[in-house]
Amino acid sequence: MKVAVALLIVGAAAAAGALFPSASAPQERRIKMTARQYAFDPAVLKVNKGDTLRLRITSLDVTHGFFLEAFDLKVAIIPDSPYLEVSHPSRPDEAPKKVEELVFVADKAGKFRYRCSRTCGSMHPFMQGELVVAPNRLLGGGLGGLLGLLFAGAFLALRRSAATP
Amino acid sequence: MNGSPASKGIDLLRAVPGLKWLLTRRWFQFAVVLPNLAFFYFFVIAGVFGSPVGSRNISIIFVWILWWFLLIAVMVPLASRVWCTVCPIPFFGEWYQRRALIGVRVGKPGVGRNQMAGFNKRWPKALSNIWLQNFSFLLLCTFGVALITRPIVSALVFAGLVGLATALHVVYRQRAFCSYVCPISGFLSLYSMCSFIEIRSEDPDTCARCTDKACLAGGDAGWGCPWNVNPSKLDRNNYCGLCTECLKTCTHDNMTVRARPFCSDTRLKGYDEAYKAFIMISLALAYSVVLMGPWGTIKDWANPTERGRWGGFALYASALWALALVIVPALFYAASRLGRRFAGATHVPMKEIFLGFSGVLVPLGLMAWIAFSIPLILVNGSYIINVVSDPMGRGWDLLGTARFPWTPFYPQSAPYLQVPVLFIGLYYALRSGDGFARSAFGAGPAAAKGAAPVAILSTAVACGFLWLFVG
Repeated sequence: MKVAVALLIVGAAAAAGALFPSASAPQERRIKMTARQYAFDPAVLKVNKGDTLRLRITSLDVTHGFFLEAFDLKVAIIPDSPYLEVSHPSRPDEAPKKVEELVFVADKAGKFRYRCSRTCGSMHPFMQGELVVAPNRLLGGGLGGLLGLLFAGAFLALRRSAATP
Repeated sequence: MNGSPASKGIDLLRAVPGLKWLLTRRWFQFAVVLPNLAFFYFFVIAGVFGSPVGSRNISIIFVWILWWFLLIAVMVPLASRVWCTVCPIPFFGEWYQRRALIGVRVGKPGVGRNQMAGFNKRWPKALSNIWLQNFSFLLLCTFGVALITRPIVSALVFAGLVGLATALHVVYRQRAFCSYVCPISGFLSLYSMCSFIEIRSEDPDTCARCTDKACLAGGDAGWGCPWNVNPSKLDRNNYCGLCTECLKTCTHDNMTVRARPFCSDTRLKGYDEAYKAFIMISLALAYSVVLMGPWGTIKDWANPTERGRWGGFALYASALWALALVIVPALFYAASRLGRRFAGATHVPMKEIFLGFSGVLVPLGLMAWIAFSIPLILVNGSYIINVVSDPMGRGWDLLGTARFPWTPFYPQSAPYLQVPVLFIGLYYALRSGDGFARSAFGAGPAAAKGAAPVAILSTAVACGFLWLFVG
């Protein structure tokens, strides 16, 4: 019974945490981004689910990539070129498209990393930025779950101490 | 709950057919070290003569992506210090000491009943702890970006460790290098406390009656414990290197390998061990920020040999050392002291409280490192396919996979794995803190009050990691 109540506390806290985050109405966002060894600027993009993102990305040094996880987007960013070469990892046989700006809809909520996909130097595997799409329910649910675990532990400890003469 | 000689678990030597036979063969350890030794030296050669680009060099990809993930997420939780069983670093030193690769030598000069070459000096008592390992690991990790991205740096560190291990084996008896110096051994020691397996005596009474003590002193069947611990009195995994010598030497067939619940060892026994826990969780935090975070300036600071920002590096290094050696210990000390006051147990020595509560960082730290390592393998794992065909990055295509494109493996799934991993870490941390509070303050309300500050601090640490990974 005690364990069931403890699990209920954890589950309720996680659920409450997951329901807590909210998002504003979708809008179009124009973003100028730069890539350099080993960082993107802006490093973090905070948007809402449903936002249309228009990214103009330029490289400040060598050729970089922009691989956005979960969005099937892979972009080559070539120094001094006005164009981005956009391809889709799920369609490897398709030729890359040259575009001036990368346009996509943030139709998934959560935190997604964009990473350099062209070897650009020693720290290349760690060159990344973050696209945070609200509502981030995993964060809310995770925080709720961790706090729920603390409360459940407190509940069990207090029940035990109440039963101890 | 501490693992003890009397603890009950599943006796794997009885449950797994053939395991006892395998582990008691004299050639067993040599057979598992030998292939690892070949790989190790190939990685050193690749590090020196191969491509300087880390993602194209097998030494970086196999060691810092594949090995690291397997070590922290698989080997340590499932099999304790099994890496020490197969580690090639002390190979030459131990060979020198023993003058044998497989067999056993009995007689003088030596240690116990075993004849051993070298000076056989005792390791200095003042250094018989893991402080050297603490500082050597923190120092290595301060230069971690160079270490894990530059093949030549990795190769030099690997070669340096072999040289140091061999020299110490010549001067000092048994595995002094492994026990007191090796930077890897230090954190394996700490996190092996969580492991699902242990080597223990089957029946403590048999050990108490034993006058032979072959597990410690050696004999015809095997070497005395190279880690210089008394296998018959093992009650934690920390300093057992799973060399399996005690399984071979015990004249009563009383040593065994047991499966046990996760995190069965919970107590840290000295400040050196507590600081290892502080250093490890601080490094997990720092690496999550530097390597997995989006902040370019911090990456530049941590990478001074390439970016040249030595002022920033000084700031980064100072912050890292302050976090590991001052801030985190101070926070845990404050929480422990507050807990003691809440419990009304001011008569309990602060050292006991501090060390007892520091144990919460063992499962939490291990799980934080596993959570950190998940995206590392998911994102960069496909480089493994490249480098098996072109290990030196010289344009070879041995298996036809050298041009396999960089293909992250469901990287978006990483947060969904990291959250439950952190959850497990916090669960065991809270359990460890509660267990200690009950043993120190009794089972009444004092235990709940006493554990509260450290429980809140542990939850805050877990929430911090969660924010970094999914926030």
